[in-house]
Amino acid sequence: MKMIHWTMAILFGMVITSCTLSKTDYEAELSTAIPETTEFEEAFSINSNGYQIRVNALGGTFYKGYNELHFEITETATQEAIANATVTLLPIRTTTNAEAYSCPHSEVVAFQTTDAYYEGYSVFDVETDTDASWVLYLSITVAGETFNLEQPIEVAEQENLNLNMTSFTGNDGVQYYIALIAPVSPSVAENELIAGVYQYNEPETAGGDFPDPSQFSFSEVEGATLLLDPRMPEPNMGNHSSPNNEDLTQEGDGLYYGVVNYTMTGNWTLNFIFQNAAGDVIKGTEVPTDFTPGVEGEKSELYIDILF
Amino acid sequence: MMKYLLSPLFLLASLVMNAQDQETTTDSIQQLEAVQVTAKVKKSIATAMKMNISVDEFLASSDNISFIKRGAYAWEPMLNNMSSERATITIDGMHVFGACTDKMDPITSYVESNNLAAVNISSGQQGSANGATVSGSVDLKRKTTPFSMQPKWNGSYRSGFEFNNQQFYNQGNLAYADQQWVAQGSVSYRKANNYSDGNTNEVAHSQFEKFNASVGLAHKTGKLSSLRVDAIFDQANDVGYPALPMDLWLSRALITSATFKQLYQEGWLRAWDTKIYFNAIEHYMDDTTRPENLVHMDMPGWSTTYGLVSKAHLMKGNWHSEMQLNAYDNLSIAEMRMYPQDRSERTMFAYSWPWVTTRFAGLSTNNTLELSAQSELQFGGALGINYNYSKYIDFNWIFHPGAPQEKTRWLPSLYATYHQSIQQFDVAIGGGYGHRAPSVSEGYGYYIYNSFDRYDYVGNPNLKNEISYEVNASAGFQNDKLSLKAKANYFYIDNYIIGKILNMGSPMNYQSVGVKGYTSLAYATLFNFSLDAGYFITKNLQWKGMLTYARGMDNEGGNLPFIRPLSYQTSLQYQYQQFGLQTTFNGDLAQEHYSPAYGEDLTPAYAIWNLSADYTFKLYHFETTVQLGAENVLNQYYSTYADWGNIPRMGRNLFTALQINF
Repeated sequence: MKMIHWTMAILFGMVITSCTLSKTDYEAELSTAIPETTEFEEAFSINSNGYQIRVNALGGTFYKGYNELHFEITETATQEAIANATVTLLPIRTTTNAEAYSCPHSEVVAFQTTDAYYEGYSVFDVETDTDASWVLYLSITVAGETFNLEQPIEVAEQENLNLNMTSFTGNDGVQYYIALIAPVSPSVAENELIAGVYQYNEPETAGGDFPDPSQFSFSEVEGATLLLDPRMPEPNMGNHSSPNNEDLTQEGDGLYYGVVNYTMTGNWTLNFIFQNAAGDVIKGTEVPTDFTPGVEGEKSELYIDILF
Repeated sequence: MMKYLLSPLFLLASLVMNAQDQETTTDSIQQLEAVQVTAKVKKSIATAMKMNISVDEFLASSDNISFIKRGAYAWEPMLNNMSSERATITIDGMHVFGACTDKMDPITSYVESNNLAAVNISSGQQGSANGATVSGSVDLKRKTTPFSMQPKWNGSYRSGFEFNNQQFYNQGNLAYADQQWVAQGSVSYRKANNYSDGNTNEVAHSQFEKFNASVGLAHKTGKLSSLRVDAIFDQANDVGYPALPMDLWLSRALITSATFKQLYQEGWLRAWDTKIYFNAIEHYMDDTTRPENLVHMDMPGWSTTYGLVSKAHLMKGNWHSEMQLNAYDNLSIAEMRMYPQDRSERTMFAYSWPWVTTRFAGLSTNNTLELSAQSELQFGGALGINYNYSKYIDFNWIFHPGAPQEKTRWLPSLYATYHQSIQQFDVAIGGGYGHRAPSVSEGYGYYIYNSFDRYDYVGNPNLKNEISYEVNASAGFQNDKLSLKAKANYFYIDNYIIGKILNMGSPMNYQSVGVKGYTSLAYATLFNFSLDAGYFITKNLQWKGMLTYARGMDNEGGNLPFIRPLSYQTSLQYQYQQFGLQTTFNGDLAQEHYSPAYGEDLTPAYAIWNLSADYTFKLYHFETTVQLGAENVLNQYYSTYADWGNIPRMGRNLFTALQINF
């Protein structure tokens, strides 16, 4: 019997050491591709007029693309959170020629009672560079008293291509922006695809004192459709695509929702055709559906590249 | 799972041990030989033509086995012209599942001819004892050495060389037995280069290298009981698949089991045999040897199985019965790792088997009722429960949104056969009914590239059970000189699972032309017929002939793929004292009923002539046999209906073999 025990023990030992090639840790594979920016952290804080204004962003950093921003306002003396303030937001980018531009953003940020902060967003379209310096202008009204703040900020390169964005001039001459919001960390699965679609509104009147929000007006595009065709662009994938995708349409919160299926990890291109509420094509072309191994996949004139 | 399996086993073992204390019997060493109640047993792993052969070559000599071949190695056995997922293929009743999504590693590739004693092939539902099946079962029987009154050593050594592909092999077996213990082991090593076809062109990527070893240890725990542990280790390196865009870098299998056997001398329970087993398979394919490939891809796969098989033999009067409990748990994992042009950068990943668990438990019974000296009734059935779980169901949801992550299926089976002998004639007629669950690939596969029809295959978790209705009949005649046997069977299979072109998705593998989804046809039908004949022309000269025909059709009257055309074999064997001479002539007619929809084209007829001679003599006091022969003597260029990519078969091959028994 002893011999049998030994044999079993040896066999068991062989089993334990038997795997030659280790299996892929799929969950780790998905998470390593995504920078660790899942927590809201302080980006900056300002003390002014007896209040502390704290601005939080994912990872405490502003990235090119869609940024959800949280504002906390506390009365310095009492350390009490202020809930009934009005906060307006205006990001301004200045070039070396002193030209000023903005980007899609929420003008007035709303207070979230449950979380006790003000929530807004900004879709930075250009990274901070020698030719692009960003300043965030805030106007805060508490108990009838308004004060203005300005804070120079850095807009970092978007490390997570799943939050990539694009801006373009549509066939109607309007400047548009499409920014991906979700999935932040996609899987080889059906993924809910969320995007913000915005347009720049040309000012109708001459500007007042800089910065005049009326000169930098953006709005959510209403009732449009983004026809979706995801493909893997690399030549060796031969224009591979996936089934069961759903075009993006607008829902109650103003954002656009659709479904994208990623069949494997890697580089993907989301090809879009952007139609306005009337069904007219504003931008985008159909891409070939043929399987063409060895040929770089053709892209729509409107697309966003992602990688996971 | 192991925990759940072990506890009932120990309970059972302790019960049996207690029972055996009361036994008071005379010497019973001989009775510990296995009790075998099987329909068809292929004895000893050798054919008339060739004494040292691979397991594949051996199976190919059976009239209801055909093969899909992707190269020189690891052929996929097809029973009754049905692909391997429709059969249960086991080693001593143990389920082992290959780890390759492309079926490059059928179980038969993890054993070697020198650790097998026999292969039991049961057609249709008669093979349901080891698990749910449609086409039948193939059970590979390992060699077991019986206990011996006197301490005894014996062994054998085999070696040989095949000239066409410079295949050199060495195989050794050694066994020791005494009254209490048996220890046995075997080692085999083969290495072959590329083979050449009938036009003497080398077929690139057809080399292989295989090492196999087995050990077994048995101890007599009582007069009528024994405990046995066995292990097989198999490793193949650098196996080329000329029909595929990639090759096998390494495959390894470890197949282990512990068996407790108890015999009874009185009462209706005669023997009880319980085995727990564990096996782990790893199979790593890549294309490092194919620099011409645009995209580089690795396809590693793993398959791990735990199981229990417990079998009781019952006998009462004219009734023999075998009751069997099967349970196993398998985890199948397969990955696709793709690299852009630069291999150091791995960027694309997907599971082709997204961690699929299969659990099965089934109870089956096989019975023989002797109605008279000339007639008997065989009947039986099984009820199994099959459970699947896909860990990364997200992959499956891409094509089948909302498909359930877990699925449980009931798999019933029933059959009966009536045998009647009338003087030198015997006839049998039977029928069967059975379900099978979709395989891991059929249910949960994801972009599995099939280089035969060049489609990527996607599984469907919602597939229905395949339901088979079969009838079979045979008639035979035998006298001193002549034997004749005709067999036929007909299967009507509901929800026949096969790949159909999907009008969604696009191929992932760059050689692929589209995506096929596993789909249930309303039904399919299959008909198999075989005729075997033997005639002793003189006492020393025997003629044998075999003819097989099969036809498979889908519900629209279209041809099913991989159905063997009319094939024949005729052989002459001459034996004079220690000298033997054999010649065979075999071939297929043209495959007229091919299926273009499944990537088949018309395969022309071919005929092959083989020749061999052997001589047995005493070398010192060892029995020694030498053999010399030639396969495909006329150096025909041919490929068969089931050769992927119409890869040509081997041209003329001279072979030599040596066997020494001691």
